[in-house]
Amino acid sequence: MTDQMTFPDAVQWAVPFFIAAILAEFLWIAVKGRGGRYETRDAVTSLIMGAGNIASGFLLGFIAYAFFMWLWQITPLDLGTSIPVIILCFVLDDLRYYWVHRFGHRIRWVWASHVNHHSSQHYNLTTALRQTWTYTFTFMMVVRAPLILLGFHPAMVLFVGGLNLIYQFWIHTEAIGKMPRWFEAVMNTPSHHRAHHGRNARYLDCNYAGVFIIWDKMFGTFVPEQEEDKVDYGLVHNIGTFNPLRVAFHEWVGIWKDVTQPGLTLRQRFAYCFAPPGYSHDGSRDNSEQIKAKHVARHPEDRGTPGFERFDTEPHVTTAGQV
Amino acid sequence: MSLEILLVLVVGGIAGITLLLHMSGKSRLHLLTSETAPDQWLRHFPEDVVIDVTVTHDGHAALVRTESGAGLLWSFGADTVARHLRDFDWLETSDGFEVLFHDFSTPRAIIHLDETERQQWQHLMDPE
Repeated sequence: MTDQMTFPDAVQWAVPFFIAAILAEFLWIAVKGRGGRYETRDAVTSLIMGAGNIASGFLLGFIAYAFFMWLWQITPLDLGTSIPVIILCFVLDDLRYYWVHRFGHRIRWVWASHVNHHSSQHYNLTTALRQTWTYTFTFMMVVRAPLILLGFHPAMVLFVGGLNLIYQFWIHTEAIGKMPRWFEAVMNTPSHHRAHHGRNARYLDCNYAGVFIIWDKMFGTFVPEQEEDKVDYGLVHNIGTFNPLRVAFHEWVGIWKDVTQPGLTLRQRFAYCFAPPGYSHDGSRDNSEQIKAKHVARHPEDRGTPGFERFDTEPHVTTAGQV
Repeated sequence: MSLEILLVLVVGGIAGITLLLHMSGKSRLHLLTSETAPDQWLRHFPEDVVIDVTVTHDGHAALVRTESGAGLLWSFGADTVARHLRDFDWLETSDGFEVLFHDFSTPRAIIHLDETERQQWQHLMDPE
């Protein structure tokens, strides 16, 4: 079995392209007068988050890599490094990305890492670089384990993961409306991903895809961008800081404050860590399902439309103020 | 790619983009008016019913009275942030207030007020 294998660090090599593309998008918006918005402190925060993400990879990446190499030692399978194997690895890793991303929105412990990517009220190419510093602490590296146990070399798995992230860079833009219909049907696009970044009730918890939008269509999480419901970017409760340290760690601090409240049961403390974001033991907060239900109650005309398909019947009121 | 080159690219890229954005006027704050402030509030709290708004003379903050209590809306870069005034402290400064929210993700808001506004806001924020 091959232990020594090197693939280029695709994300690092893409840094000059990222900078050039941001400048190009900025100039495009300036010349055309449409296609997005830029704000200095928002963009700088996003760029610093991106730099911090690379730095955290240098500092903590060895933990995941050691885990992957251990898996590589115990698996009897080795699929080699042929082009078809790399392509297969890319597709399966994109499926892996879909689930990690879905967990990132549905499990607060993972959301604490991913939330910073959604914390900008803007949507431009710098938003793509607003990346986590704390991914290692989510332990989501375990979702890559099946790939390595199946015989894909860890270096290849990390390489295709880098390509996946590079693909997702260009879809963080308002400068591109819709791609050709066949492309929109199969691939993740700016339109699909704009919907994913929406804080509108309709767009909560949709379009988790990295490269191929087919995963969302397969697993029932696809919501197409609606012309009559313009995407409002950011968080349900937008944060009021450009400080990168606060952006990176605010949800972890929130978990800590919630978990250490006096008088909670063990189950409630556990739920503050791992239930979907918006959980509260006293019903004082809303999760995405409750936000959608309340939206449909205020706007019954949206019942059954994309993003609200599950609310195509009258809501059942269970307790005061909660549906 | 060597670490030195990566470092130069990252630092140079961030510095260059920051300069470009600032010099091209992208550091301007969102301007609120009494017409836009209620919509901005409802963007953050769609379930609320707004009673009235008091916008500062510089257009960078508004005190919003709703049926569920008072709230503060303020410019955050080109956008806005809003919080209900429930768990907060406020300090007087030479030109207004600093509102402290006890929230790691939104530590404070700086409100610039002239003398007339200061008295009005003091009354609205602390009616007792």
